[in-house]
Amino acid sequence: MELDGFRSSLDDWLAQNLDELTPVVGTVDTLDGQMAQLAKVKRLTYAAGWMRWGWPPRVGGLGGSTLLRAYLGEALTFRDLVEPGFYSMTEVLAPTMIDYAPPALAAEMVPRLLRGDETWCQGFSEPGTGSNLAALSCRAARDGDVWRVTGQKVWTSLAQYADRCVLLTRTGTPESAHQGITALFVDMDSPGIDVRPIETMHGAPEFSEVFFDDVAVPLDRTLGQEGQGWSVAMDLLPFERSTALWHRATYLHRRLQGLLEIVPADRLDPVAVGEVTQLLYALRSRSRATQHRLAAGDRLGPETSVDKVLLATVEQAVFDLVADGLGPEVTVGDDRESDRWRREFLYSRAATIYGGTAEIQRNIIARRLLDLGSGR
Amino acid sequence: MDDDDRRLLEGSVRHACESSSGAALDLALDELGWHEALSADPSVAVSILFDQLGRTNAHGSALDTVLGFGLGRKSSSSVGGVLPALGDWLAPGLIVGGDLVIRGVGTASLVDRTTALVVAGSGARHLVLEVTTTDLSFRSVHGVDPQLGLVEVAGDGVPFQAQHDLGGGEWPRAVGVAQLAVAHALVGASRAMLELARGHALERIQFGQPIAAFQAIRHRLADTLVAIEAAEAALGSAWDEGSPAAAATAKAVAGRSARTSTRHCQQVLAGVGFTTEHQLHHYVRRVLVFDQLFGTTRTLTRALGQELLATRQLPPLPPL
Repeated sequence: MELDGFRSSLDDWLAQNLDELTPVVGTVDTLDGQMAQLAKVKRLTYAAGWMRWGWPPRVGGLGGSTLLRAYLGEALTFRDLVEPGFYSMTEVLAPTMIDYAPPALAAEMVPRLLRGDETWCQGFSEPGTGSNLAALSCRAARDGDVWRVTGQKVWTSLAQYADRCVLLTRTGTPESAHQGITALFVDMDSPGIDVRPIETMHGAPEFSEVFFDDVAVPLDRTLGQEGQGWSVAMDLLPFERSTALWHRATYLHRRLQGLLEIVPADRLDPVAVGEVTQLLYALRSRSRATQHRLAAGDRLGPETSVDKVLLATVEQAVFDLVADGLGPEVTVGDDRESDRWRREFLYSRAATIYGGTAEIQRNIIARRLLDLGSGR
Repeated sequence: MDDDDRRLLEGSVRHACESSSGAALDLALDELGWHEALSADPSVAVSILFDQLGRTNAHGSALDTVLGFGLGRKSSSSVGGVLPALGDWLAPGLIVGGDLVIRGVGTASLVDRTTALVVAGSGARHLVLEVTTTDLSFRSVHGVDPQLGLVEVAGDGVPFQAQHDLGGGEWPRAVGVAQLAVAHALVGASRAMLELARGHALERIQFGQPIAAFQAIRHRLADTLVAIEAAEAALGSAWDEGSPAAAATAKAVAGRSARTSTRHCQQVLAGVGFTTEHQLHHYVRRVLVFDQLFGTTRTLTRALGQELLATRQLPPLPPL
């Protein structure tokens, strides 16, 4: 199916099914409610076929350009039907499974993720290993036909809801750095896993600490080869910095439009409003070009750090404008809408931290794009 | 235009801009077929030439040509154009009570042409007029960038002929194409500054290592690249959209990007970048003037913000 045809057919379908897709007011104020809404939207869009376009047939997809799934995410975000960050975890984790899992495992598991039957999480960061990912220490040791995993992860999004985890483990010596890392696909109901959600300043415990105590993971759940975990991570992160951002730019556009509709005119400086709108236009343009490169089969790499720096800059600029324009609502408002603006403002402060900090992105740009040699 | 033609054009335009400037560059562009390329594929012709003008600091009458093209006029060696006054995107001419008043700027060659095209506002309409250059007064601009060879153009009660009534959207569309051209020049100049600063950072040794090893330097250069890539992306979308609003946005993003680039690159180049022995100052000067052509970053941004606060409606996002 071509993008233009997909766009108009999907728009029609969404218009016809909007009542069923739209959450009842108040039901998505909590994380539980948002996750239930996400599962519902994925189930309905999968059943109608939309969610299957842009994915290869060997994992239950209907084929076609990756632009189709970019448009689906955009269309759902634009209508406020899904939380974009949670929705786009599929865009980050499914490609990893398709590229690195044994084919039968990918064919079995990916449809469950697309259909909304399951939630998956991504076990990368550790208490001692945030920006310095190659220093991770969560240990996996071979024991017959299983890996035995012991260690701790942190900032694991949606771990308390997750059925599976794409987990980076240390299988080499502690000094083996990026060469001794192996990626595993772990069932979250395995004995020995303990998930403890983290209370955050924006009020939704979407991140967790995850503890692994001698957890057995079958060897055939290895993603890629033993010691190839760094490649898995390096191929996954550009997705986190591409399609996820495409959806997020749409979300920012919707929220900026929402701000414009309610803000008292004298609270905002026209120059600030114009500048944020221009920044958002540039982000969207950059992200669009990245989506087209992805669709053309280009391998995404360090240049997606430019997209991430732009996203973080724009996300904070949009919500700085919200804090200026809706100051009383954000600070002392206790109605539902004010609460949402406040949560989103607070969450935007993390935009320069999650998915690789602003500093790490600039380090990548300096070393890989500007070829400035090593250095920190 | 296919990829081979594009590369060929890019190579010959680069060579022309590196080896000539002013009237000689105008001639070289004519000979290598840039004007034909402009008619055939405006976005390619404009982006290639203005990127090179920005990178090389060469100048010529290309901006006249682009504005004329936007107005549906073919350029010729005897006809030049008057550009809006610095800082402005309003038409340079105004007809009040039958009298034509002109306040604008022109490229260096305008003085040597016999005829100048002037767009003038008259009530709600825009007219394209032809005036004789001997009826205009010119001041050669020295200013911050003497090498650019701009002239200030003025005239009061100027006789005019050959009226052509522009339709409602034609002047904004022509301004849009000119804004995209200037934006490409800003991006080209920014890339040139980044290359200079990068080279310096790798060669300059302090505390026993290249200053490129220091994060304070690396992050300035990274931010410069992000700003440039953002402007380039906005330009790509603006060409695809073809709307005056998108062109104005791209011009503002490029102007802001050039200011960011100037600030970071000048700081990385430090002492040597402050001297006239180094090339940087040429770019610092030029981007200041470019920012003034067809609306400044600030005025374009404020106009957009005022419109948004009045209409309460964001422009639609460029489609996937």
